[in-house]
Amino acid sequence: MSPLPLASEASRQRTLAVVLRDLFALRHSVVRVFEMLYWPLVELLIWGYVSIYLQASKVPAVVAALLGGVLLWQVLARSQGEVSIAFMEDIWSRNLLNVFASPLTTGEYLAGMIGFGFAKLVAATALMGALAFAFYGFGLFSLGPALVPFLFLLLVMGWALGIFAVAVIVRFGHSAEIIAWALAFAFQPFAAVFYPVAILPGPMRAVAAFVPASHVFEGMRAVLAGRGVDGRDLAVAAVLDLLYLAGAVWFFGRMLVAARRSGGLARFAE
Amino acid sequence: MAVLDVRDVVKRFGTVTAVDGVSFGVGAGEVVGLLGPNGAGKTTTLHMVLGLVTPDRGEVRLFGEPLSAGRSALLGRVNFAAGYVSLPGVLTVEENLGVFARLYGIGDVDARVDRLVAELDLEALRRRPVRVLSSGQQTRVQLAKALINDPELLVLDEPTASLDPDVGDRVRELLLRLARDSGRAMLITSHNMVEIERMCDRIHFMASGRIVATGSAAELAERYGVEDLEAVFLRVARD
Repeated sequence: MSPLPLASEASRQRTLAVVLRDLFALRHSVVRVFEMLYWPLVELLIWGYVSIYLQASKVPAVVAALLGGVLLWQVLARSQGEVSIAFMEDIWSRNLLNVFASPLTTGEYLAGMIGFGFAKLVAATALMGALAFAFYGFGLFSLGPALVPFLFLLLVMGWALGIFAVAVIVRFGHSAEIIAWALAFAFQPFAAVFYPVAILPGPMRAVAAFVPASHVFEGMRAVLAGRGVDGRDLAVAAVLDLLYLAGAVWFFGRMLVAARRSGGLARFAE
Repeated sequence: MAVLDVRDVVKRFGTVTAVDGVSFGVGAGEVVGLLGPNGAGKTTTLHMVLGLVTPDRGEVRLFGEPLSAGRSALLGRVNFAAGYVSLPGVLTVEENLGVFARLYGIGDVDARVDRLVAELDLEALRRRPVRVLSSGQQTRVQLAKALINDPELLVLDEPTASLDPDVGDRVRELLLRLARDSGRAMLITSHNMVEIERMCDRIHFMASGRIVATGSAAELAERYGVEDLEAVFLRVARD
């Protein structure tokens, strides 16, 4: 698979094939639909009630920040997971060699997985947003128009991490699958989801400056505190996202080449 | 022009040389078999033909072009089935075929799926998830997938492995029909000598990563002074 632009009709068909495969799989599996909603719902309930408890303790500003953090973190973690798990389903169903021996290019494969993951995420986030409003009176759109870039920036970072995780699995095989579940959480302390970057010690603050999500969550807290959107935060996050995504796609390509050389790709059929 | 031209390919995995200077070709409409004991390098050779493994040395050319130069376009004219791969089990037969028809850029997906379902006698199974099918039925679905793009080169890696004798025989009949009627080039590995003997125009025996003998089944039997291909296999494997 070589990275080609999604230009031709055949290329669009191949990308659609990846989307359709995942859509059919979701349609036939109650477990997959359940799994898509289960973790976000559990987290929403836990953090929602934690927030209510804090509100009773007269710390209302924290409440919205925590709930906003929970909801937006889900966007990042889920978008990473969707990309990684879509790939692993090809491994689990022993379909990977069929896919990699087909004319599908790297770009088409990644675009198909991201496209379907995006659609699932929109559905799950909409439901979580509705539930957060119903249970706690927290409207996702209380973040105003800034919500759209916030969501998009987190999505892109999630895709980049998902592609990176897939690349590691391609190269190192089944033993590396844990990264699909764990990678986003490795970034969580630096993303400052539930606290401001300012409370981190110096070295962690330096790392956080290079994590796109930290700028998004700082922006979210600023909006909730009534300070408006900091365009600089959004711009920095966007530039970092582009670097992450380009780096992840490049890394995936390198790992695929290495896996073909080492025979690791073919060993997924064993 | 050769459909497939494998030129002096070498593949090492660590200290093990899996394929050691193998060269052969497959012409249009020709059915070529790779035979040999386990670990002879047959599957690694097929994986190099399919672009799943990169040779350390040598070159694989499909339809006159190096595979490394036009991977997507060239693989669109090839397809494969193997005993060790499957299709997503949660998808139905027709959904799987529809997905692969799009992956291979087939224009009229529904018509193509209908035709293959009819040809491979899958009508009663078309709306059933692949995971509930018997191994023989799954093999037929795999073959339907392998024919979805009407490939000019069909690569089959032990397609009847793990099938019981009855189902294996039915699949073998189907493969024979494909080999005789379609006129497409085929490259096949199998441990079933009858299958290879009946299907292949030419056979390459591999051992320790090398091709050690080439010819038709009759030529090989004559050369080794034995009755059939199975006896040739035993001689090659034990030498």
